[in-house]
Parts: sequence; structure tokens; C-alpha cells
Amino acid sequence: MGSMFRGEEVALVQLFLPTAAAYSCVSQLGELGLVEFRDLNASVSAFQRRFVADVRRCEELEKTFTFLQEEVRRAGLALPVPEGRLPAPPPRDLLRIQEETDRLSQELRDVRGNQQALQIQLHQLRLHSAVLGQGHVPPLAAAQMDGPSERTPLLLSLGGPHKDLRVNFVAGAVEPHKAAALERLLWRACRGFLIASFRETEQQLEDPVTGEPATWMTFLISYWGEQIGQKIHKITDCFHCHVFPFLEQEEARRAALQQLQQQSQELQEVLGETERFLSQVLGRVQQLLPPRQVQVRKMKAVYLALNQCSVSTTHKCLIAEVWCATRDLPVLQEVLRDSSSEAGVSAVAHRIPCQDMPPTLIRTNRFTASFQGIVDAYGVGRYQEVNPAPYTIVTFPFLFAVMFGDVGHGLLMFLFALAMVLAEDRPAVKTAQNEIWQTFFGGRYLLLLMGLFSIYTGFIYNECFSRATTIFPSGWSVAAMANQSGWSDAFLAQHAVLTLDPSVKGVFLGPYPFGIDPVWSLAGNHLSFLNSFKMKMSVILGVTHMAFGVVLGVFNHLHFGQRHRLLLETLPELTFLLGLFGYLVFLVVYKWLSASATSAASAPSILIHFINMFLFSRSPSNQPLFPGQEVVQSTLVVLALATVPVLLLGTPLYLLCRQRRHSRRDPAGRQVGWVGHLPDSGVAGCWPLQATSLPPALQLVPSEVFMHQAIHTIEFCLGCISNTASYLRLWALSLAHAQLSEVLWAMVMRLGLGMGREVGVAAVALVPIFAAFAVLTVAILLVMEGLSAFLHALRLHWVEFQNKFYSGTGYKLSPFTFALEDE
Amino acid sequence: MLECSELYFNVDHGFLEGLVRGCKASLLTQQDYINLAQCETLEDLKIHLQTTDYGNFLANQTNPLTVSKIDTEMRKRLCREFYYFRNNSLEPLSTFFTYMTCSYMIDNVILLMNGALQKKSVKEILVKCHPLGRFTEMEAVNIAETPSDLFNAVLVETPLAPFFQDCMSENTLDELNIELLRNKLYKSYLEAFYKFCKNHGDVTAEVMCPILEFEADRRAFIITLNSFGTELSKEDRETLYPTIGKLCPEGLRLLAQAEDFDQMKRVADHYGVYKPLFEAVGGNGGKTLEDVFYEHEVQINVLAFNRQFHYGVFYAYVKLKEQEMRNIVWIAECISQRHRTKINSYIPIL
Repeated sequence: MGSMFRGEEVALVQLFLPTAAAYSCVSQLGELGLVEFRDLNASVSAFQRRFVADVRRCEELEKTFTFLQEEVRRAGLALPVPEGRLPAPPPRDLLRIQEETDRLSQELRDVRGNQQALQIQLHQLRLHSAVLGQGHVPPLAAAQMDGPSERTPLLLSLGGPHKDLRVNFVAGAVEPHKAAALERLLWRACRGFLIASFRETEQQLEDPVTGEPATWMTFLISYWGEQIGQKIHKITDCFHCHVFPFLEQEEARRAALQQLQQQSQELQEVLGETERFLSQVLGRVQQLLPPRQVQVRKMKAVYLALNQCSVSTTHKCLIAEVWCATRDLPVLQEVLRDSSSEAGVSAVAHRIPCQDMPPTLIRTNRFTASFQGIVDAYGVGRYQEVNPAPYTIVTFPFLFAVMFGDVGHGLLMFLFALAMVLAEDRPAVKTAQNEIWQTFFGGRYLLLLMGLFSIYTGFIYNECFSRATTIFPSGWSVAAMANQSGWSDAFLAQHAVLTLDPSVKGVFLGPYPFGIDPVWSLAGNHLSFLNSFKMKMSVILGVTHMAFGVVLGVFNHLHFGQRHRLLLETLPELTFLLGLFGYLVFLVVYKWLSASATSAASAPSILIHFINMFLFSRSPSNQPLFPGQEVVQSTLVVLALATVPVLLLGTPLYLLCRQRRHSRRDPAGRQVGWVGHLPDSGVAGCWPLQATSLPPALQLVPSEVFMHQAIHTIEFCLGCISNTASYLRLWALSLAHAQLSEVLWAMVMRLGLGMGREVGVAAVALVPIFAAFAVLTVAILLVMEGLSAFLHALRLHWVEFQNKFYSGTGYKLSPFTFALEDE
Repeated sequence: MLECSELYFNVDHGFLEGLVRGCKASLLTQQDYINLAQCETLEDLKIHLQTTDYGNFLANQTNPLTVSKIDTEMRKRLCREFYYFRNNSLEPLSTFFTYMTCSYMIDNVILLMNGALQKKSVKEILVKCHPLGRFTEMEAVNIAETPSDLFNAVLVETPLAPFFQDCMSENTLDELNIELLRNKLYKSYLEAFYKFCKNHGDVTAEVMCPILEFEADRRAFIITLNSFGTELSKEDRETLYPTIGKLCPEGLRLLAQAEDFDQMKRVADHYGVYKPLFEAVGGNGGKTLEDVFYEHEVQINVLAFNRQFHYGVFYAYVKLKEQEMRNIVWIAECISQRHRTKINSYIPIL
């Protein structure tokens, strides 16, 4: 948990891996996920690296795996998830795996090919029998069989001189979308010297390649003459039609049909055998494939990591540069020793100094992960910068709850989150693929705290589904008021609204023990009372939050050894913020404590005071809050304005002075203060490099420093004003939430409860009304309002809080690990 | 067309224009070409292409990798992109796309007829056909014996039909006639396309017309060059020239009279655009006229991307992609034939 406050110390480590043991070392590192490899061959293109041949072999294998996987998927089978620990196989096993896989895939390919060929054959047979069985009757033959009709004599007489010219047939099948084009082309090309009839097949046939059922068009073309016949054959060829022999006699056709059916039956039996064999082979694939896939993927990852190492001059070992957390160094040493013990020469790791900014490593657990996620979404912190995440754990749900305060809604959210937390270890919950669900599930602890805090603020606001609850007796007594002012029945009948005067004795007994007095929910000025309260509360929370942010900056300055910034930045910033807005908070609290009910009419207005403070004026109608207020106010404004030039010029002038001093002492520009990497070197490590440690080329440019500081100053000073105003969103959102739930209650539930005196009617009507209330509560108040409050809380953290101290310009340590591959 | 068509161009075609600009950004850069030219084997080439937008389009190819496999896969990719554009397009952009496919269809028809003439099987030739110019009746081309036959039976339903008006004749289809047919088809195709763009107006006309004019002039030059020493008469030659280019009409008349390359060059010297092109021929690196024309084509196609709200980007993108494919094939051929001296004479797309 200590590491949550700032990123862990990370060191650049050089590994000397003996060539023989390099593979096993890296594979072991991948299992543990300790280190991030730096690419030492960035200038070398992908195919000129050392292990490119091995990578290519792994890719070849993966290609075969893809083929096998595709086949298994096509057969409608699922691949089991590999179990147990599967280390990357030693390089010499690659050949064996390759042979094994190749043999299997070859076998599968053969069987598959056989099956396909059989299926195509079967398809052909079926098409043929469909063509024959379709009952295309040759028009001419039909006419002859039917005996003399109108047409026959004409044809016969025409046919007289061409007795030898027989009518020929072409029968076949074509895909339906081509049928129309085929028919037209036939007609045009042969100028109508043919009769073609097209029909759809009755039953759908399975396509042998895709396996999808499809209808086909069968056709029968009758034509005269050789020339036309050739043309027809060419055309049918080009449309990829299946053309079958067509016998003229019906009996012959019937016999052929029978024969075809017999053939197809036999073929089906053979096909069944083949499919059984195929499923056997697929079963073997199913068993073998998943572990092999994992292994080869690991192997490829290892080679890719090895490709980032450079080769030592003696070719005896590989040199790798890795980022590794200092805490993990002993583990790293041990791993290297263990895995290189076989090779005889031990792998060595030692720290080397570095110029670059190390990556940020913050270890999280399942609880802190979602909070760290919120911070990282803004920007990953610089190396060893103060991490806002631990504070976010408290402030985020709290600010959310300020906007979402309602006991009922908070409880629902809490229970939902609790259910997720309790079920988090169930595999079904963990592996759910739904993206929205994953989002909620990832933030379950966040939701839990948000729900919990909402219950708390709900009690403060005294609202449960917008209804006030009376836990303690109210601090206001109506009876006392009635007795003291002697309200008669007639008076009561005339006046719908009555005033409770706290200055009358016995009416106001004392503050309500916790939260807001329930009597306010009956009051006509409920809203204006809450507005005043919530507005002041928002300002107080906002100023506190921002001041806390500025204070956190102190830890950054201390840690990075930039003590001048304490005096030149943090101090003026705090003065500015607290002098102006801290004073406003003071006024609010002071007035709460000092103004009593008796003096309410003449109580001073804070707003006017605050405005007058900047104008250095006073308004006679507005009494001062305390004696000497004007002097204090003027002092504070002058002080605050005086901090601006300090903030603007302090740091740049200091840096430039220091640089000049150093360059005078050190004309060669020697790198001073370059901190070594020994563990005992104290606070700073090597990052951030101080101005003095920069190489001469990177020395400060005055204009840039001034510009940077000017931007920072303007941002901070204007930001103080606008950010304070921005915290008023707490008030606005909580108001909106309270009003929305109030409206929902008044428009839906109260309507239902006020309906019908008889028990039966009300009971029946309440069921749908409650359903509507429940659905609207969840959809609008919980989900929609919850999302908007979440968004605003996020903004308050990212913009208003984090810009006071957090730069977020680092990058994450992404260790070389097999963990992702294992998934 | 109303004025200010920019205002509503995006309603119909904005998505596709955005897409095509994205695709154009994925064209290989100079650095990619340099890397490709350094490859030792086709496998290296494949690895390099994997790092570009081509991705692992060769992943499922069985070994050994050959140039023709690469070419086919690249064509398939281009086709996929093109059909995606076409399927998502609205009128009149879809007509524009149809016009774009016509040139490939003409080539395919001619290729098939030539194949039929040499008694090659249809399947063998189908492989060589450009996939962008495929159409259903294509394979039936070889049943025709005369151009009018071809028109009446096969092509009457295809978009090519209108281009046949000028070339209906009862001549038998021999090699020369087929070549004439191709050029006549091309002529009427270019003229029709030009008319379409001109009628469309706006930026499309401003961008497409120069491109098509150049295309027409290039054809005129190439026809002239190829007709030297053949039995083609000068009158016939003149009828083949597309009449939309900058050369029309005087330049074409002069070209028709040209008898050798030098005379042709003299004709080109009258035109500011073509003079530098002809001067570059045979210069450094022994460039051919074809190379020079390709370079100029790339240049004007790249320029098309400088304007927005027009259809020319689609045409330009397909042409640039084709050039890129030619480049890759060239490099791949050089690698596979170990003929590295000329590997750098590809035409980079800037």
C-alpha cells in the first residue's frame, strides 16, 4: 500500500545472457512478468534481426494452427481452454512440434479433400436427378404423344426436307441469379432457334463448399442443328452450368433416375464413413491444438524479446537492457541464476545509470485498480510523482455522493455493487464478455464506496427517495408557536401558511443532532434554505479540495529536491488561494457561528462584503461581521496580489541565477549533480534531472522558462476563481437530483397512494404504479443521474484537483509477460 | 446541378470521400519503397508489406511465394475496396464508378477475343483478366465472330453497349481488327466519360477533365508510336484518336501524318505540357515514353486530392493504387530474378 503514494523506484538493468541460456532466461522472465525490455535494435529493420528465422518458423506454425482452428470451427466444435502451466518449449522441441502439426494438418487436409470431393459428387448426382425428375417434358415430344394438335402438322411438313434433322436437348442446372441472363443470352445468340424452359428445383440442395442450402434452376433447351448446339454448349459453359445427358424416352429417363438414386445412396454411405474418420481426426486436433498454440505463442514472444537484445562483441552473450522495479531486483537475480545454471555460465544483471525518464510502476490490487484507472485515464504519472489515487479513493466517492445524496438510491447502488463484489470470484461473472457489464464490473469497488457515501450524504440531506425521515425528534415545536402567539381556529382556517419564529421562546429547541431537520420538508422555504446551505457547502468543499491539491505539490517538490519551488511556488499559491477564497470560507463559517435568530434581520451579507473586499469600499447598509474587518480584508487582497509577481518571476529568475553561477564555476559544462544509482544514494534517484545535470545543449532557455511560468501563473490565478465557481456544480447537481426524485415521487407514487379509499382499488392500481416508479427510479435517477454525477466528479478530480500538482506525463511500465497470452 | 454543390456533397458522398482519403493516406511512402528495395527475398518483401497497410494479406498463401501470387492478392484487395465504394455509392457517383470499370471491361473483352483467336482455353485467359472488369457475360465473348455479333449477342446489356456505335462492322475478327476495335471502343469510352464529367460540372469537371484529356492524348501518342511500321493507314489512324484532349484538333492531324518518333516529338513540342515529357525520354536512367507518361499521370492524380467535394479522388485513388501495385510487382520481379540493377526504377507516389 505504501507504493500507492508514489510510483515505485525503477532501475535500468543490463542483463548479460549467455547465448546458450538466453532463451530459457527470457522465457522464465516472461512467466514472471518482472521487466520491460528496451529495444536496442531500433535502427535495425524487422527482417535483419538475429532471431528472425525462428520468429518466421513460429509464424509458419501459427499459420498451420489457424488452418486447424478454422477446420475445427467449421465442424461446429469448440476448442477446450488449455489447462495447467505450459512453459515455452525449449527450442529443440520446435522441430518436433512442427512435424507433429504438419502431419496432422496434412491428414486433415486429405480427409477433408476426400469429403469435399464426395460431397461435390453427391451434389452433382442430386442435381442430375433433380433435372430428370423435374418433369421437363420436351415440348415436341409432348406434342407428338398427345396426338395431332394444331402444331404438329405444321412442324412435320416443315421438317419434310430435313428428315435427318433431329431435335436435340441440353439439360442442366444453373444458379438462380444467373438464369435470367442465361436465358436472354441464349435467345439473342441463337436468334430464337431453340426452346428453353426453366424451373426451380423443388427441394433445396446443400452447396458442397459453403454447406448452405440453395435452390437451383434446372433448364431444358431443345434446339435444331449442330451450329446452334455448339453455341449453346459454349454459352452454358461460360455460365458454369452443370449439363447432364438427357434421354428422350421417358422410360429411359425413369431408369436413369432410379440408377442415380441408387448411386447417391451408395455415395452417402461412403460419405458417412469419411465423416466419421474426419471427426476422429478433428478430435485429435481438439486435444492437441490449444496447448500447442499457447506454447508456440510464448515461444514467438520470447524470440521477439530476444530480437530486442544486442549481441556482445565476443558473440558469447546477448545484452539486454530492461526496466525493473528495484524491489524485484533480488528476484530477477535469482531467476537469472536458476535458469542459466544449466549452461554453465551464469547470467548477470547489474544496474546502469540512465538519462531517460524511467517508466512509472504502481502496483494495484483489485480494490485500488479502479481508482488508479481513473487517475491513469487522465495521464500516467511522471516517474515517482505523487500519485493522487489514494486520495481519490476517499474524495471521489465523497464528491459523487454530495451530488447523489439519497439514502434509498445510495442503498440500491451499494447493494448492486455488493452483489458484484461477493460474486467476483465466480467464473461466469468474470468471463462475461458484455462490454457494458465489464465496465460496471471493473468499477465494482468504486460503486460500492459511491453507494456507501451516498447513504451517508443522504442522511445528511435527510432524504430517502426524496422523503424526509424522522429519526430524532425535530428541533422545532409547532405547539409552542401556537401557544405563544395564540392562534385561534378562525386564524388557522384563514391562513394556509404560517411562520415559525425561532426567536419566540420554546419554538426552536436546538439543532437537529444529525443532518437536516425533517421539519424543513414541510416548510415553504425548504428550497431556499437548502440552496443557501448547499452553495456554501460546495464552496467550502471546493476550497478545501484545491488547497489539499496545492499541499500535495509540496511532496513533489521535496521528493525531487526542488526546495526553491516550496518558497517560490507553493507558498504564494497557498497565500493566493487561502487569502481570497479561504477568507470567503472563513466568512461563511463565522457568520454561521455569530449570527443568531434574533439578529437575523440585520445580519450582514457575505456576498456584498466579498465584493467590497476587492473594490476596497464599504456599503453603509451592510454591517461588518467583526471589528477591524476592513483592515484584514485590504491586507489579504494586497497580499494575494503581491504573490502574483513572485509566482510569475520567482522560479525563472532563481533557475537562471543558479545556471549562471554554475556556468561561471564550471565553464566546460561538466555534468554536475548527476546522481548515481546506488540504492543508498538518497532521495532523488536520477530523475528528474536537475537543471544543473542537463547537458549543455539542454540548458535553460530564458524565454521558454519565463513563458512556461507565465502560463502556469495565469492558469493558477484565473483557475482559482473559475475552479471555485466550478465546484458549485456540486450544489447544482445535488439540487437537480433532489428535485428530480421529488418530482418522481409527487407525480407517480403520491398519485397512486392518493387513489380510491377502498382497499381493493388502491391495491390493484398500486402495482403498475409502483412498477413505473421503480423503473423510472432505476433508469433515470440511478443510471442517468448516477452517470452525470460520476462525470462531474471525474471532472472535479481531473481538472480542479489534479492540475494543482499532477503533471501526468509519464508512461507505464509494461512488463514482458505471458499473462496476456495465457488468457 | 445547382451552384454551391459543396453544401450538400457530403450528404450523399461525404462518407466515401472521407474513406478514400483515408485509403490514400495508406499508400506506400518513399521510405517504404526504400525498405522494399532492400529486401533480399520475397519473404522479406512480405514481412515488410506486413508493416504497412497491406497487413497480412499474404498470410494464407502457401509457399513458395511468387510474384503472380502477390499481384493477384493485391488486385483482390483493390477490388474489395473498390466494390465497397461502389456498393455504398449513390447516383451519380455510382455511374461514375461504372465508367471507371468500363476501361477494364474493354481490356478484358479484347483479351478474351485475342485468346479465342489463338485457340486458348477460356479458363487460361480468365486468370489474366482484371477483376475490376469482370462481368457475367464475359466468358461468352468467344462465340462472336463479328463485332456486330459481339454487340448483339453479348455486350448489349453491359455498360459497354453505348461505345459500340462507332465500331459496328461485319469484318471478321482478326488480330488487327481486334486491335482497331479496342482503340475505337476506348475512344468512344473516353469521350463518353469526358462528356459525363463535363455535364456533371463543378469541381468534378475541373479535376476529371484534365485527367481524361491527358489520358486521351497519351492514347493518341501511344497509338501513333505503335502504328509505325504496320499496315495501318494514316486515315484509319486518325479515326482512332480520342478527340477530347489538348492535342485536338491540330495536334491530332499532325500526329496522323507523323512517320517516326522524331516527327512525333516535333508535334509534342508545340504543347507546353508534353514537351518536357518527351525531353525526359531516354534521359537519366533510360526512361521510356511509357514511364514518363506514368510519372505524369501520378502527378496529376495526386493533384486531384488537393480539391474537395468531387468524384475525381476515387478515380485518382484507383489509378495511384494501380501504380503502387505496378511498383511492388516491379520490385518483386527484380528481387525474384536477382536483377537488382534496375530495382529503383519504380515510380514513387508522392
